[in-house]
Amino acid sequence: MNATQTRITYGVLGAIVLAGFGCWVYQQMGGLAVTGMNNATSWGLYITMFMFFVGLSAGGLIVASSAHVFGIESFKKVALPAVITSTVCICCAGMFVLIDLGGIQRVWQMLVSPNVSSVLLWDMCVITIYLVINILDLVWMKKGDEAKVRKLSYVALPVAILVHSVTAWIFGLQIAREWYSAIMAPIFVASALDSGLALMIVALLALEKAGKLETGHELIAKLARLLATFICVDAFFIGCEVLTMAYPAASGAEALAIMTSGVTAPYFWFEIVGGLLVPFLVLASAKRRNSYGLVGLSCVLVILGVLCKRVWLLFTSFVEPNIFGAGGITLGNANVIAQQGSIWTTLGTYAPTAIEVMVVLAVVALGVLAFMVMSSKLLPKK
Amino acid sequence: MTRLAIAINKHRCIGCTTCSLACKMQNNVPDGMLWNRVLTENVDHYDDAEGVYPNLSRSYLPVACQHCDNPACQRVCPTGATYTDDKGRVEIDYDKCIGCRMCMAACPYNARVFNWNEPVRSTGFNYGDARVPARGKGVMEKCTLCKERTDEGLEPQCVVCCPGDARIFGDLDDPESEISKAIRDHAAYVLLEDKGTRPKVHYFN
Repeated sequence: MNATQTRITYGVLGAIVLAGFGCWVYQQMGGLAVTGMNNATSWGLYITMFMFFVGLSAGGLIVASSAHVFGIESFKKVALPAVITSTVCICCAGMFVLIDLGGIQRVWQMLVSPNVSSVLLWDMCVITIYLVINILDLVWMKKGDEAKVRKLSYVALPVAILVHSVTAWIFGLQIAREWYSAIMAPIFVASALDSGLALMIVALLALEKAGKLETGHELIAKLARLLATFICVDAFFIGCEVLTMAYPAASGAEALAIMTSGVTAPYFWFEIVGGLLVPFLVLASAKRRNSYGLVGLSCVLVILGVLCKRVWLLFTSFVEPNIFGAGGITLGNANVIAQQGSIWTTLGTYAPTAIEVMVVLAVVALGVLAFMVMSSKLLPKK
Repeated sequence: MTRLAIAINKHRCIGCTTCSLACKMQNNVPDGMLWNRVLTENVDHYDDAEGVYPNLSRSYLPVACQHCDNPACQRVCPTGATYTDDKGRVEIDYDKCIGCRMCMAACPYNARVFNWNEPVRSTGFNYGDARVPARGKGVMEKCTLCKERTDEGLEPQCVVCCPGDARIFGDLDDPESEISKAIRDHAAYVLLEDKGTRPKVHYFN
């Protein structure tokens, strides 16, 4: 990329960030009523993106710390860009939680009046620790302090797994919902591994294209093979969960029907076919792993597949209330009520508004911007 | 100990929704939401009948906060804004609520309602009991078991106003209270017992 192109990219991303910031200010004025969320579907696009970005953050740090923990020499070469993607993604994830809060002006209550049994409190702690580890990793890698980086890796790897588990437990420990399942944490870790690694490969390909870092075909092919393995693990866990829901043809069957043939079905099937099956078949061949184009395409499919998984996983549980009856649930959100023409809904309903979409785009743009700036400052000049 | 609760005689409930409105009035509940809903069971439209003509039936289920002994909402609240008070009522400290809606996902009964926007009231002014604290935008709310009234030994407004006399208010820890007797005599049950939340609100036929 030449200087003009870089400047134009910065300009466009900056404009998106500013527009999204404006939308967020508007949301602070109007409240979360400017989103499509309501009393029946109380979490929406922001929490979807929170889960998604926590996951994306994994791949980088896990690959970087595995390089040291398991002594995989070849991975050390890409450790620095890996930690940059990890740092950027965890910051985006944290922003999404804060954006989702209805009363951000009271968020300090989490510090002065913490409830230790709340998984959200655990998540705040573990994300903070994770961010600190990422930053230390960046600083020590930049300085070339190998000994410290190696020691930190032994902490970084378990914390990376924990940060995805705790995020999973925000959902998986809720007895009220279909999320309540012991496999939730393994599923989150598995999709963090595949989507995170896929994002890292995309970042490496982009850096190579921009002429900032030469990863080389051999290493990309190696990472792609690892990705194919991670896709299998993810598919296996999803299979276990779906079979457990389906087999008794009892309490889990309703939620399963929503996933496989109901409102969240497009997302479920896209993930199964587009996010798992197709990329696995592409990456299963050594010949195809040598093509940057095919590897890049598979990575993008894996990332989109995991995004779809976040959608079906979150929203399927909001469709059927435990206590069904008419009129149902009072929606609460004045804008949603105006649209629906009634305060009542018997089933969960949700569609993101333009404001929500704009805020999400802005956070993503900010992430890309941060990645570009950090990689030009931190990566060694060629 | 005191464990204040309500027992609802479903056989006496006529689905008039007076309890919903009495609650809304007493507690200054904003437009677009209710702390206390009356559901017509197993149908898609309010007041519909179940079954095929001529074998029809219709039943109502009033649902508000179940004031659980093991409240899922309280466990997940990051700031302790949701708490159980000395009378066994599950309450919200509005000043501590950060609007994360963990409790909303945690409640199996959809008992909680959120102020997505600045509260609007079609009257244009606040109504109800002046002692009930005002809630702002971004704050969770729900049935308080009419804290302001029950603190004074009065019954909750839904109990007072029910024209079918379907509601009994009292202390579950007093074995001689009317509510304890009714629960024993009618083998009362709780909603979603399998979730293990141990609601204090009981139902009987």
